[in-house]
Amino acid sequence: MIEDLTFIAQISIKSSVAVLLATVGGIITERSGVLNLGIEGMMLVGALAGFAAGHFTQSPVVAVAAGTMAGGALSLVHAFFTIALRSNQVLSGLALTILGTGLANFLGRPLIGQTGVRIRQLPIPYLSDIPVIGEVFFNQSPFAYAAYLLVPLAWFVLFRTRTGLVLRAVGEDARSADVAGVNVELTRTLSVFVGGLFAGLAGTYLSLSYTPGWKETMTGGQGWIAIAMIIFCTWNPLLAFFGALLFGGLTALQFFFQATSMDLIPSYVLKMLPYLLTIGVLVLVSASSRHRKSASPADLGVPFYREL
Amino acid sequence: MSDPVISLRGLSKRFGPVWANREVDLDLFPGRVHALLGENGAGKSTLMSILAGRYGADKGTLMMHGQEVTFSSPAKALDHGIGMVYQRFMLIESMSVADNLALTVGKKYGRRGVDYEIRQTAEQYGLAVDPEKRIFELSMGERQRVEIIKLLMLDAEVLIFDEPTSVLTPPEVDALFVIIDRLRGEGKTIVLITHKLEEVLKLADDISIMRKGRLIISEPIDARQMSRQQLARLMVGRDVVLRVDKKEVALGETVLALDGFSGDSPSGGPSFNEVTFEIRKGEIFSIIGVAGNGQTGLVSAIAGLSRAGAGTITFDGTSYTAREWAMASAAEIAYVPEDRYQSGSIGSMSIAENFGLTRLQAYRSGLAGLLLDREKMAADGRRAIGEHNIKVESSEASAGSLSGGNLQKVILARELTRKAKLFIAEQPTQGLDISATEDIWQALLECREKAGVLLVTGDLKEVLSLSDRIGVIFNGRILEIIDAHDSDRVDRVGLLMAGVRS
Amino acid sequence: MIRVAKRKQPLRYQGAVATFSAVAIALVVGCVIFAALGVNPLTAYTAMGKGVLSSVDAFSEVLVKATPLIFTGLAVATAATMMLWNIGAEGQLVWGGIFAAGTALFLFPGLDGWLLIPLVLAASALGGMVWSLIPALLRAKLRVNEILTTLLLNYVAIIYMEHLFYGPWRDPAGYGFPGTAQIPEAAQLVRFAGTRISIGFPLALLCAVFLYYLLKKSIWGYQVQVIGKEQRAAHYAGFNVTGKILTVMALSGAFAGLAGMTEVCGIHYRLQTGLAVGYGYDGIIVAWLAGLNPLAVPFAAILLGALFVGGEQLQSVLGLPSSISLILEGALLFGLFAGQTLARYTLTFSSRSEVPS
Repeated sequence: MIEDLTFIAQISIKSSVAVLLATVGGIITERSGVLNLGIEGMMLVGALAGFAAGHFTQSPVVAVAAGTMAGGALSLVHAFFTIALRSNQVLSGLALTILGTGLANFLGRPLIGQTGVRIRQLPIPYLSDIPVIGEVFFNQSPFAYAAYLLVPLAWFVLFRTRTGLVLRAVGEDARSADVAGVNVELTRTLSVFVGGLFAGLAGTYLSLSYTPGWKETMTGGQGWIAIAMIIFCTWNPLLAFFGALLFGGLTALQFFFQATSMDLIPSYVLKMLPYLLTIGVLVLVSASSRHRKSASPADLGVPFYREL
Repeated sequence: MSDPVISLRGLSKRFGPVWANREVDLDLFPGRVHALLGENGAGKSTLMSILAGRYGADKGTLMMHGQEVTFSSPAKALDHGIGMVYQRFMLIESMSVADNLALTVGKKYGRRGVDYEIRQTAEQYGLAVDPEKRIFELSMGERQRVEIIKLLMLDAEVLIFDEPTSVLTPPEVDALFVIIDRLRGEGKTIVLITHKLEEVLKLADDISIMRKGRLIISEPIDARQMSRQQLARLMVGRDVVLRVDKKEVALGETVLALDGFSGDSPSGGPSFNEVTFEIRKGEIFSIIGVAGNGQTGLVSAIAGLSRAGAGTITFDGTSYTAREWAMASAAEIAYVPEDRYQSGSIGSMSIAENFGLTRLQAYRSGLAGLLLDREKMAADGRRAIGEHNIKVESSEASAGSLSGGNLQKVILARELTRKAKLFIAEQPTQGLDISATEDIWQALLECREKAGVLLVTGDLKEVLSLSDRIGVIFNGRILEIIDAHDSDRVDRVGLLMAGVRS
Repeated sequence: MIRVAKRKQPLRYQGAVATFSAVAIALVVGCVIFAALGVNPLTAYTAMGKGVLSSVDAFSEVLVKATPLIFTGLAVATAATMMLWNIGAEGQLVWGGIFAAGTALFLFPGLDGWLLIPLVLAASALGGMVWSLIPALLRAKLRVNEILTTLLLNYVAIIYMEHLFYGPWRDPAGYGFPGTAQIPEAAQLVRFAGTRISIGFPLALLCAVFLYYLLKKSIWGYQVQVIGKEQRAAHYAGFNVTGKILTVMALSGAFAGLAGMTEVCGIHYRLQTGLAVGYGYDGIIVAWLAGLNPLAVPFAAILLGALFVGGEQLQSVLGLPSSISLILEGALLFGLFAGQTLARYTLTFSSRSEVPS
């Protein structure tokens, strides 16, 4: 029984890393007021770039760097159109996903089935020997460890530093921030870029660690889950850890039930839960937004004009 | 008196063809409160915006401590110690006071330093505020204090207040006066932009009056023992009333009667209280007041677009409570709104299509009245163009391409065809040229032959030319209703607009 | 600092400028990609063109692809006319397919074609409508942003559909291939002259014309346009916005549902994988390329359909992955943005802003 639970817990963490990283990046972007629905496209591009770089250079470091930067580079397209040209953020994000998916599938065709660099699980000495907890948390891929560090770091920067204050101000009330001397366009561009880096990193995790390998539809909609997750955890990186874990847990349960032919909860219900729960959270957030406690960044999705 | 901190010489500013400020000379002294008075459009806000660095002057010089300076942005003006507290606060609602202030002054003090500085400044100037509270939890008075603290933390020497009491409750107004007094005591230079005479007489040391972009008078307040009446007259001026053909019209039944009508303005603006008046068919009843005294909320509630809180309203013989009125289905009230571009019309649609906006019932056709009779709409549009002398090729031209005057004529024509018993016109000639204004005035005068007209405006000339009776609104209340035939009506209205009761 | 200022009057023919820019940028991006791979762009584009125009058969495939795109394009355009975002056309399409298959297979399997097909049509419209009313109600009553709710419901719809045809609706004689049994012949849409074009295509065109006249000639359409163009004016005029949100989204969902029906009854003849391939999202591109004009939607749909068919051709002739179509599709939309910005705004460089109050 304990082994089963430990196993499920470990797979849960494993399955949550990509969504977690993408969500945290998305939180940073949305906190500055920019909606980026292109996360799925950025993840795919990152996955491919990381895999390709690994395949050609056999260097894990180069591979991770390439994947991460690819996500960031694609995000700049969105930044240009939505920030400089004031294009509609919803459409631009969707176009970005389509473009990113197309680019990744197109350029990745020759690499299907090839081998690249593989970044394996890395148990942390001593910590991984702790019963249960060690196996679950400290016998994971280095990407997971990176996530353990990046999540609290993101929270800290957002809520305890001036950079984070400026970023959140821009997302809440760009006009007031502008009057206070903040460079709204630059702040938003940087936050979109950082979000892209996170998404690229998430994709790289999938192609170098989780799957590993390259195939089309590699991300399997996790980019869209991340978008839902951002709202689900009310734009708070720390909650993202738990939200992603929930998603990972549901995924792990699916595997588990399949493997053991148990059928406690129908698998299709399990699959639907992340989306249904997010809708539930959306309703709650809207209902309570009159009290402005956990509402979305007030200026989210609104292009910034200095003159009207 | 010591040397002036600020000196303006020959300052002029234009926006397009209009000179908002003409040849203004002004001196501001430290440790004194300088009141800047004038009605809407007199140029006070523009002048102070130049001082605060928001606009650049087209002519003239600005000197600070004897040195000529120019500011390319509000931030530069702040560097020199000049700051403005605007009517619309630039604060982020969901963040705390401390966070908001850290945004502006954080670089200078660091996060911990900001908290400390806030408390120091608050104590020094008697500005009680809790740094941890979020802006949305604060009252208007408290938010204003945050804005003041912001300026003080940036070492502002000159503080300009733009209509500061327009969003405050009476106790908050008193509190503000204490604060301003304190600031004055600390040697700051204060400018108070206002139209409320009582405030001026209570607080100000020096007074300047602007009219049509010029500075009429600028002196210490006790230098010339001026009475309230004289001040009010200076503000409003004795303008020549335009000639209008006003033929006699018999009065008919009461169309609208309000009793104790009170409520808030829909967007959180000033409220209106205990409004009581009657309008009869055949007369034009005007409500005049400086913008921001509750008119917007009042009109919105009468027109049924927002809900009043209390009181009763009687329309065409039937009485309603405030709540019942809001839920009553579209009573036939014609309404020409102040916002002609976004509420009154749809810029991207044609003139013909705009005719349907409030007259859909008239254009129902086809089975079950589901279809739109576009030919009829176009015909009505063409007729309106002809009747009202609108300069445009066809009724298919887009409303957005029309000049202000022509657009207003279209809206007016549409509302006139509704043949309503009550016709509301809100700031109908704002921003229009003389000929369009005269046309609209003529139309309103004719309108009263068939209906009762409620004219809401801030334009004294308009009110005097058209009205049969005049109600002056100030701080949400109708102070007095004056008959248009009274010989001293100009003075009385002017005084009342400034809040001075006789 | 780039300063963006609205032009007093948008450029004339801003729609044409935007479309031209869209196509131009897409072509350029394509050239870059082809060149980078060492392929002559001209050869590539010619191959794509040939794939589309070389034979009646080839062009018919374009119309086959265009059929669901017209429906989803209309769905998105309907909602967008009132500034509502229906990102859920994919899920509504799926439910249209589910209702269509369910009606044909289980509800009325024995009926004759002339009775069954209208029933299936109505059922699929209903299916899409129900799915779109959920986010509509959330938006109208609780002010929940419909972008996310419609998007999330897509996934729920797809998951449920897969559950159905892997599980309770699975074809017992299916040899392990996931999908329902084939729908009765009576429900299968007639195909024209040896192509795969069914009556779905003319039906889609009819819907486009219907939507156009609905918006132009009816009181309802007038009010919807006013609400979409100027919310404040609609409030001033006392329009019932809540009611309109529901009716607009219902119609939008119905169109998307019809897309599902034409795919199930006209192409696959069963409910199976391959139904949810992204037509719902492509509908967004179609609607925007068409400038939200219902009469232009079929043209935009055919353009996109040609893009997809051409891409497949590239794959079989030149060995290049067909996903080039996706790249071009994305580039088209970005090109559209660039064109729209050009048409509506002037970009200048300046250091100070002067705004008369």
